[in-house]
Amino acid sequence: MNSNVWILTFSDAISIATTLILATLGAILTERSGVINLGVEGILLMGAVTAFLVSDGTGNLWLALFLSVLVGVAMATIHATLTITLRANQIVAGLALVIFGNGLSQFIGKPVEGKTRPVTIEPMNLGALSDIPVLGPILFGHDIFTYLTWAGALVCSLYLNRTRPGLVLRATGDAPATVDAQGVSVAMVRFVHTILGGALMGLAGGWFMLARGTAWSQAATTNGIGWIALSLVVFAAWRPLRAIAGAVLFGFTLQVPFTLQGQQINILPPEIVQMLPYVATLFVLVMLSTPRARRLLGAPKMLGQPFVRDER
Amino acid sequence: MIIGNMRIELEPRLSTPKWLYFAVQALSLLFAFVVGGVFLALTGHSPIGTLWLLIERGYASTKGITNTLGSATPLICTGLAAAFAFRMNLFNIGQEGQMYLGMIGSAWAGIVLAGALPGFAAVPVVLLFGALSGALWVLLPAVLRAKLGTSEIVSSLLLNYVALNLVNYFIFGSRGIFRDPSTSFPQGRLIEESARLGSFGTTRTYPTVFIAIALAVGLYWFMKRSNYGYETSVFADSPNTARYAGMSSTKLTLSVLLFSGALAGLAGSMYVVGPAGKVDPGLLQIGLGYAGIVVAALARYNFVAVILTAILFAGLREGGASLQISSNPVPISIAVVLQGSVLLFALGGEVFRRNRLRIRRVQQVSVAS
Repeated sequence: MNSNVWILTFSDAISIATTLILATLGAILTERSGVINLGVEGILLMGAVTAFLVSDGTGNLWLALFLSVLVGVAMATIHATLTITLRANQIVAGLALVIFGNGLSQFIGKPVEGKTRPVTIEPMNLGALSDIPVLGPILFGHDIFTYLTWAGALVCSLYLNRTRPGLVLRATGDAPATVDAQGVSVAMVRFVHTILGGALMGLAGGWFMLARGTAWSQAATTNGIGWIALSLVVFAAWRPLRAIAGAVLFGFTLQVPFTLQGQQINILPPEIVQMLPYVATLFVLVMLSTPRARRLLGAPKMLGQPFVRDER
Repeated sequence: MIIGNMRIELEPRLSTPKWLYFAVQALSLLFAFVVGGVFLALTGHSPIGTLWLLIERGYASTKGITNTLGSATPLICTGLAAAFAFRMNLFNIGQEGQMYLGMIGSAWAGIVLAGALPGFAAVPVVLLFGALSGALWVLLPAVLRAKLGTSEIVSSLLLNYVALNLVNYFIFGSRGIFRDPSTSFPQGRLIEESARLGSFGTTRTYPTVFIAIALAVGLYWFMKRSNYGYETSVFADSPNTARYAGMSSTKLTLSVLLFSGALAGLAGSMYVVGPAGKVDPGLLQIGLGYAGIVVAALARYNFVAVILTAILFAGLREGGASLQISSNPVPISIAVVLQGSVLLFALGGEVFRRNRLRIRRVQQVSVAS
């Protein structure tokens, strides 16, 4: 088999990982505050369709991505209002967001269904770096968002572990009553981070459309990437830097079916190979469920629990 | 929250008046129609005219209402599947995949077994195999949850994508038993005639609708009266109390999830014995499994109310489908937008059902100058 193909596969895996990292970072920020937002898939779809429609209408890549972020913010605001202010069940609210985003992206995307992507996020030209054999194309052939995303994971990690607001955020997820006793509004911390998380998820969807998608087709766009990102949060043990490694791994399982198909390697029927990313994710979840692994993970203790101050 | 000299407070209610349940649901529906109307207007459709047409074609004609009852039939099952699990805080969201497996399992029984069975037994056996296959598909998430405490949410959902590819494999990828051998066009092989049910007259309503309704009423009664129903509700309220009382959380978790899977599988079977008669990729398009979750949430996990919300939703779907055929076609996804919005509003409305909204005038206390 051609070694170039595998270089390309690794390169694509790292590229796809950009969306996964962005969505996972968004989910980590959200969940660290104690809110679980299952609506990732719906937000990704809305971000993607927004990026497509806006760039199709204006040809402006940056405006398209900016509006994807805004749509992510809007969707997350719905979730935050329902779960934090109105104390609705977080699981059901997240699912409602998926169904809503699923329907709405299909509805507003209908007129452009099948149309080719209007603009493309071009890879950066890193000169000599890209010419390094093997590593060059794998690591240095990406667009600016891939690198910004890595930096973003680092920033998130520093924010969580080295700053005071980060400390407050972690405390909000673990012991909201203590945070409240300190005079900090639990609802505010949760609101801000749920919305920040939504912004990252919206960007993840927009970037995915304009960098990886080819034509708008709602059914084929995200294909469960949002759910994979939610599994990645567990895999990364709610730590931003670990999300990068996990995302590349999961990106690889997402890319391999296409490589095998392109290479006409038919060890298994394509439909069976298509199951790979989901089965791999499931496998990882199972591995992480052993009592030993669980002790090492450390999920936010009050994840999914609404905080009511005067409830006795 | 304080706005001006008004203080807005939420006070927990001790009891909820009956009318409020309906009022919140009706208002959610109304608000959802407003959201749908906004998007219709933005895409150049007449909001009121379109929504009126949707209601008329979904509920207010003989053809509409019978079509609606037909498509509500499997939806009642997926709704019951979601309600049954969610009531116990077990969030099985893999109904979609379990339903696909139900379709595969009952098609297998309908092709292989039905011919050898006496006529009266064919349909029940086919339905049973569908239910069993659905239960089988939730077995892994159920065991993980019961034994290791792994969240069933993501694991059951991921299996939907596996099931989707499995159906595609049986129809498009392989030339196995599920594929019609008489044509090169990829389509399912019809099950034995004895395992199929005809519809009522020229309608698209099938006798399975009675099974679905009977199931809902039966479950309602069983969970209210039986020891098992009591145990699950204790467990839902407080797993610790249940444990101290000697109830086995493993057994309850496993049984609830497996039964939920079986109900979702049954939805797939009803599609096979009724309209489809084979493994049909058409089922992959309509999202009955996901809609089941909304139906259940809107019914507040009450089994009898599931019947009504399923009919409501099926009507949106049928009405939505009919809108595609017009001079200015409206995408059918408007139905999904409406469904998602109804649920979002109903969730928000929940707070007003549990709490009383109090608006008080507050005295501006001025610090002595």
